[in-house]
Order: sequence, then C-alpha cells, then structure tokens
Amino acid sequence: MSGVDFPLEVKRGKPDRPTVNRFRPSWLKVELTPSEWDILAFSIAFKILLFPAYHSTDFEVHRNWLAITYSLPVSKWYYDNTSEWTLDYPPFFAYFEKLMSIPACIIDPKIVDLNNLDYDAWSVVVYQRTTVILTELLLGAVVLRFIRGATEPSMQRLISASLFLHPGFIIVDHIHFQYNGFMYGILLASVLCARNDNKLMSGLLFAVLLNFKHIYMYLAPAYFVYLLRTYCMSPTGSLLPTRFLSLANTVVLVFLVSLGPFLYMGQIKQLLSRLFPFMRGLNHAYWAPNAWALMTFLDRVLLQYVKHFGGRWTINSSGIASSSRGLVGDTVFAVLPNVRPIHTFTLTIAMQSIFLFKLWRSPTYKSFLTALTLCGYTSFMFGWHVHEKAVLLVLVPLSLLATESYPHFRTFVIASTAGIVSLFPLLFTPAEQVVEVIYSLMWALFTFVPLHRRLYEFPRTLPTVILNWLELGYLIGFYVITPATMLFPSFIKGKGDEWTFLPLMTTSVYCSLGLVWAYIRLGYLYLTS
Amino acid sequence: MHRVGMKGWVVPSIILAGILTRWTIGMGSYSGYASPPMFGDYEAQRHWMEITLHLPISEWYRYDLQYWGLDYPPLTAYVSWLCGAVGSLIEPSWFTLDESRGIETKGSKLFMRATVLAFDYLIYVPALWWFTRTCLAGRSKRTQNFALVTLLFQPALLLIDFGHFQYNSVMLGFAVLAINCFFSGRDTLGAFFYVCSLCFKQMALYYAPAVGMYLIGKCIYLGPSEGTKLLIRLSLVTSLSFLLLFLPFLPPFASLSSILDPITRIFPFNRGIFEDKVANFWCASNVVFKWRLWASRDTLVRLSALLTVLGFLGAAIAPVKAWLRLRSSLSDTISGTPSVMQPVLLYALLNSSLSFFLFSFQVHEKTILLPLLPLSLLLSGAAADSTTFSLGVLCNNIAVFSIWPLLKRDGLVVQYFALLVLWNRMIGYNPLQRPLAMVRMFHPSIVYVACFAVHIAELVIPPPSRYPDIYPVLNVLVSTPVFGLTWLWSIKSIIEARWAVGGLSVSTGGANLQHDGTPAVLTPATEDDGTELSALSLKGMGHHRCLR
Repeated sequence: MSGVDFPLEVKRGKPDRPTVNRFRPSWLKVELTPSEWDILAFSIAFKILLFPAYHSTDFEVHRNWLAITYSLPVSKWYYDNTSEWTLDYPPFFAYFEKLMSIPACIIDPKIVDLNNLDYDAWSVVVYQRTTVILTELLLGAVVLRFIRGATEPSMQRLISASLFLHPGFIIVDHIHFQYNGFMYGILLASVLCARNDNKLMSGLLFAVLLNFKHIYMYLAPAYFVYLLRTYCMSPTGSLLPTRFLSLANTVVLVFLVSLGPFLYMGQIKQLLSRLFPFMRGLNHAYWAPNAWALMTFLDRVLLQYVKHFGGRWTINSSGIASSSRGLVGDTVFAVLPNVRPIHTFTLTIAMQSIFLFKLWRSPTYKSFLTALTLCGYTSFMFGWHVHEKAVLLVLVPLSLLATESYPHFRTFVIASTAGIVSLFPLLFTPAEQVVEVIYSLMWALFTFVPLHRRLYEFPRTLPTVILNWLELGYLIGFYVITPATMLFPSFIKGKGDEWTFLPLMTTSVYCSLGLVWAYIRLGYLYLTS
Repeated sequence: MHRVGMKGWVVPSIILAGILTRWTIGMGSYSGYASPPMFGDYEAQRHWMEITLHLPISEWYRYDLQYWGLDYPPLTAYVSWLCGAVGSLIEPSWFTLDESRGIETKGSKLFMRATVLAFDYLIYVPALWWFTRTCLAGRSKRTQNFALVTLLFQPALLLIDFGHFQYNSVMLGFAVLAINCFFSGRDTLGAFFYVCSLCFKQMALYYAPAVGMYLIGKCIYLGPSEGTKLLIRLSLVTSLSFLLLFLPFLPPFASLSSILDPITRIFPFNRGIFEDKVANFWCASNVVFKWRLWASRDTLVRLSALLTVLGFLGAAIAPVKAWLRLRSSLSDTISGTPSVMQPVLLYALLNSSLSFFLFSFQVHEKTILLPLLPLSLLLSGAAADSTTFSLGVLCNNIAVFSIWPLLKRDGLVVQYFALLVLWNRMIGYNPLQRPLAMVRMFHPSIVYVACFAVHIAELVIPPPSRYPDIYPVLNVLVSTPVFGLTWLWSIKSIIEARWAVGGLSVSTGGANLQHDGTPAVLTPATEDDGTELSALSLKGMGHHRCLR
C-alpha cells in the first residue's frame, strides 16, 4: 500500500492489535485478534456442519411460533392453539419471532403457514439454524467484552472462549434446537454492566431478559438484593430515593413495553396461564439431576427393599405404579412422604435467603456473581418440575467464577462435567451422541487443562487430599457411566421396554451426585469467604 | 493455535477434531440419497458389501453388472466383504442379497459412515502422521503438527469420502505409506504398499510412472551388484503381492480365464473420452473444439495416450536423472534415501497424476484427489510465503470448487462452504493477500472472484434453455487453467528439484543452479529438457517468462 499518504491514514494501530475504525460508533467496533477470528470461524463452520443433525420437537415449536406471530394479529398470539406447541414465552420473545418471521416468509412462505404443521424442509432447517448461529453472536460479543478490562485478561480469555464454545449450547441450541445462546448473551451483558459499575443498565438488561424467557426469574432475587443494596442505598445504609425511582421506572418501563399491549387488550390472565402452567409433576420426564432425583432414587431403592424384606413403612400404591412406569409424568413416592409445590417453593426460598443475606452483608461484584450462581443453583436443586436444560443457568455464571481460586475451579470442573453429561440424554440418536461426546471431551481438554495449570494449589490438609481423590474418582467414573449408558440400549434391543429407564436413571442419579456436591462446595466457599 | 502448556495434547486434539469433523460431515446427505432406481456411489459401495458377502468369489465380477457391478480391484472387494460381514453381525437386513437394494435406514447409514471413518483412521491418518514424522523429521514439532492439520482437514477428500461417500482415503493412505517407506529406504515394503494401493483402486496407476522410474533410478544409483539385487527383490515383491491379492481369481482356485472378469471390469475402454463435466484438457477444449465430431474414438484414445505420456515425461525422466546426478556427485553411495530425493519423488507423483488427470481417457472429477495428495504433502511442509504454499492452497480450493456440481447434486452445499472456511482458516490462508511469486501477472484472487461470480450467477440466474449445462461448463473453464498452471509448475519444480540434487556437489551441473540468485529454470543446455519444452508448446502456453 505505498503511494500517497493521507494524513488520516498515518495513525495506525499496532500490528498485533486489531485496527480500529474510527468512524464507527464504539459499540459497533469489531476488535478481534487473529485467534479470536479463528475461534469464530471454526465454531461457525462446525455449527453449519451440524445443520442436518437431529432436531427435537422444539424445532417445530419455534417454527410454529414464527407462523403464529407472522400470520396472526398480536391479540391472538396467546390464544392460538392450532398446534399443540402454543406460544408460552413472554412477549419479547414473541416480538423476536415476529421479527424473524419476515425474512422467513421471503425465503419460503410455507415456513410461516400456520396450518403447515411439522414442516421441516431443508429451507426451514437452514433458516432456523442460521438464526440461532447469528443471534448467538451476541453471546460472543459479550464474552469478548469481558476480556477487555478484565483483571486477568489471559484467564478471562480462556473462560470467554469456553463460554462461547460451551457444549451446552452446542447440544441444546445447535442440535436439540433452542435460542439459549443469545439469551445468555443478554444475561452476561447484564452481569458485565454490573462489573463495570453500570447498575442501572444491568437492571434494565435483566428486565429485558425476563421478558424474553421467564425461567431467568430463578436469578431475580440476587438481582433484587444486589441492586437494592448497591444502587439504591448508600454504603452507610440509607435509601437514595432518586436512584430507587429511576431503577423502578426503568424496570416498569421495560415491562410496559413488553406486556403493555396485552394489558391494554386485557389478556394478562391468559398470557400468564400460558407462561405458568401449574399442572406438571415434581420431576420432568427425564429427572433433572437435582436433589429430587436423588430423593426419587432413594424412594425407588427403599421400595425394592420393602418389597423384598418387608418393614414398617406403609407403601403408597400409586407410588408403585409411578415407579414401574419409570420416568413418565407425575412422580409419586411409594415410601417417602410426597413432595408438594409449596414444599419445594419454601425450601428454595429458605436456601436462597441464606445466600442473599450474605450478599446483603458484602455487596461486591464477586459476591453478587456467586450469589447469582447460587440463586440459580438453589432453584435448580429444589425447584418444582425443573428441566435438565436449566442446568445452563448454573453453568454459565459459574464459569465466570472458575478463576477465583483453586477450590472454585474444582467446583467448576465437577459441576460442568456433571451438568454437561446430564444434557447428553437430550440426544438419543447414535450419530449425535458421538458428536456430543467428542465435542465435550475436546472442550473439557481445552478448558480444564490450561486453567488447572494456572490455578493448581497443593492440598495442605489430609481431608483435602482425600476429598481431591474422591472427586477425581467421581470424574473418572464418567468415563465408565457415559459409554455404558449409551451402549446399553443396543444390548437390550428386542427385550421389551421395561429397562429403558435404567440408563436415564443412572445418568441422572450419577450427575445429581456431582451437582449436589458442587452446590454444597460452592455454598460453603461463599459463606466462609 | 495451541496454548502454552498443552504440548502433549496437540496431536490427540487434532486427531479428535478430525474425527469430529468427519463425523459431522457424515451427518449430511450422500451420493444418490433417495433417488431410485439406481441411487449413487453410496449404494454402489453398499451393494458390493452385499454381493461379496453372499456370493462365491467367482461371481463377484459377474453378478448383475447393470446394477452397480463391481469395477474396482480385489482389495476393494475384500474390504467390502469385511464391512458386510461385520455389518451383518449387527443387523443382517442391511445386507440381504437383492432385498437390501437402496436401503436407507438410519442404522445402515450410520454403519456405512462408520466404516469409512474406521478405514480412514486405520490407514490414512496413521500414514499422514508417519509422513509428518519422517519427511519433516528435521523440522520443529510445530511445523509437523501444522502439516498434520493441513493434511488431515484437506477439504476435497473429506467432502468426497465422508459426504459423497467413497473410500479414497484407503487408496491414498496406502500410497502415503509407500511414499513413507521409500523415504526411509524400505523400498520393498513401499512397493508392497503401492501394490495394495493399486489393488484397492486402479486409479493409483496415475502414480505408476513416477513410482516405477524412481525405483529404477534407485537401482541404477546403487550400482551393478547392489542395484540388481534391489531390482530382483522389487520385482519379486511386486509380482508376489499382485499374485497374493488376485489369488482367488487364479488357478488352482479358479480357472485361468476367470482372471479376465476383474480385468475387463477394472479397465473399461469402451466408454467416451469424458463422461460428465471434468476440469481437464479434453472437456475444457471441447467448448471450442468438438473433439467427438472431429475424430473417431480410437484416434482420441491414441491422442490422449500420447498427450498423457508427453505430460508425464518429466516425472518419468527426472527421478532417474536425479539418482544419476546423486551417484556422480557422491563418492560412495549411502543406503538410505537422501532427503534431496524427497521433493523429486513428490513432484514426480504430482506431475504424473496431474498429466493423467488432464490428458487421459475417461477421467472422473473425483480423480483430482490423486494429484491433490502429493501436492498437499508438498504444501504441508512449505513456508507460508512460498509459491508451493500459495499454489498448493489455490489448487486445493479450486479442486473443491471443481467438484461443486457433484456436491450440489448430493445435497452437500453447506458442507462445501463450511469445510472451505474451516480449512483455509486452519492453515492461515488469506486468498486476498499473497500473489503467486511464480507468475507476476496472475493473482489468485482473480480465480476466487471468478468462482464467486459463478456461484452467484448460478444462484440468481437460471441456466438458459439453450445451454442447460452452462454452469458446470463455466466451472470447468475456471478450474482447468488452475490445474494446467499447477501442471506447468510441477514440471518447473521437478527440474529445479533435480538441479538441487546436483547442487550438493561441486561437479558439472551444480554451477548452473545459482547463477544470479534465482534458480535457472528451463535451461535449454541439457538434452532432456527438450521434451518438457515440447510438452509446453503442445499446450500452447509455454512461454519462458510465464514460468519464471
């Protein structure tokens, strides 16, 4: 590029740093180092290769939502039941689908045809999968922002890469089909704003996120306490009314934009009944790896014990039926006392308030991050009808804590391994199982090994040594459990369905052991810090 | 690319990433998916598993030839039998005779894809790993691993084997094993592997001139006594391995005439000069010059044979010349293979296979994989600013472009783009950055712009009814010049490499090499260069300046 030197061009960035285009606004700047470009290119290429992979009914769910939002007026969105997959996400997500339905109609009008149920031509597969990849770039942009201005950029780079390439997103978003990547992008953007002391924005983004998907309510208590304590109150403890009002107004405004039209049309009741269907059982079809999975398992074991050896317990007959059906629908305990929604609710609130109390006492950013993780974690552990996909709610914020200390890192390793393996049953076709296993192995390799080298601390007491060995043994156990549960169905082929629940139960129980242990670990670390 | 402190993990993660990539490509569609009654190459391979499993060997090359009759040499048949046998253990319905035709269940697809992956990782990948550890032994671990990445993710092969569905990596894997053996001085073992390669797919014959002349040259180099011994050993091993692999078709296991069944199936001379659109000399020139109207089939066969021979003359002569030069420059012969001979063999392989691809009779577009192998081996160890690198990558990318019509038919469009991005990014290639040092006038981005234009035009404008094949033809017209250029470059490089052999010594030829800092290309002083020149003028592109 020799020739005339324009004065504007004289000032150039250093060669090892990305060049900055001064004419673009700062939030649009694409500042990527070559290795970041590499990660982006590889991940996009890999996700494109996953286009023909298996997709679950969630694919049809989202296609149907495209059709609903495109062909019906807003007033009918939450009433339509042409398909069994009715719209049950908050309005922002519906608006988002409406936005995506416009290009969809140009590409293939059959995509947005309301009566064209179970349409999965190549055009809609490519279109919907592409929208997942593109919207997930928001997550990429946010995790990049985490690197810039981090206290330890090199470690944060590892964590950011591990988040962007998380096997959870590959399994749930790019194979199973959902839009979590982009919503976790919003969550992390909100956390980033909290880190950068922009608390109003943090609150705003979280309110926006809540109106995309209401599952993030699990995290709301931590936000409430943190923003109230640090933004609306002075360090001495007195309330700052102007700040409180501005925050409240912001949140109310967001909800008005989202729910306003439905308030105006008087559809709030209908909308809420779609969002919160209170007719489900304690466990999901496949037990999410939480405390209830362990309890259900204990009940099954006790039932077998009572059946064979007798005992003083009275057996609930509907529980026997529930256990023999394995994993379907409503769980009724045969031996142990039954759990009702109010129990799970009370337990969740009680556990959360312990951590929130700690957050109130020490409202720093790190403390907030831990409390946020624990809030989601508690809901996952004790919530009613928790879905296994909700484990991402734990794994994503926990990743940001991994570099805190070696004990944090170990917690992260155990929870991530158990959490990711617990997602494996989402995919039951052999071709996709190969992909998820190899991909997760590689991800673990590239995340755990370098972090371990940097964070390793020699254990100083005997209990720590024993604990480390036990944890290592548990992790090695996955190398036995995973192949065994995956190969099991081919060995029992043609021998009836009565054993099909066994591999699922094994995975669920083994993973819940790790997740419960990591929960205890993290809670202990937080409360003693 | 790899972080500090993870050295031990580099190769395992490359291997894992290779499996993952191959497997995810395999999730896509394949040749002849859901297109009865004939389906495609996938069904052909599956059908061979079915017939080899259920029929006696004598029927293998005779059974219902109209429906994908077996037309590859016996090693393919044995491998098919093995796959069929294993598959039938899992699920017999995948391979029941006649009944299983066109079976497209998820399980059978999974099994078929798994067999390709298994053979790839049994033969091809270890061979490549060995190559990076022997041929690049003197280089850093980083370079070796980089070479492994370059070779392992070569897009054309991945798309054909794991997308379209074939077992080319077995043939190529045996060829790489043979090359490795030659490089480490185990010539007889190398000859055995080369025979295996030939007996898996007859296309490996494209390498024959280079391999044969290399070994003959070595015999001459070793001198009268040692050389004769090697020659006898080589011919014994070669004929014995052929015998072994064709044994079931020979007496006493079968009548003598039955050997004709595989032979006539393997070499079908009763077809046209080219079938589909292939980016070679015949198909490209056919646009202006209608060969089939002008000449009879026999004339065309002879003409194509003549051009092919002229094309690979360099590959045939250079290895012998190089060995002779080495002999005259060294006082006593060494038993191993001097490293200066490595590029000579690779360039010879490239030249001879590319000559076959460009000029011979009955070429398929997939055969471009054969020239791509030596080219990629050369490219894998090349510096990022060398001509080898930029031309090697260009030729690889254009090869992928040249099989685009095939991939489009197979429904592998997204895989095509994904793999191109993946590979080019992995090897750190930027199509817009590096001009070819060899030809100043020529910038690779012109070719990429042309490719891009063809893709866009195909997407936007439907082909006119008068020229329904316009896009495949345009594809050929973009690809052929690049392959032709690579062919010319291979001739130039082979001469240079041969001079480099002489450059070891202070004797006669060496002085010419570094006269003014640049290699003396096509010095007309030596007698055998005339042949290459005639080949150049035949092509009508042979300007000296163009080659500098």
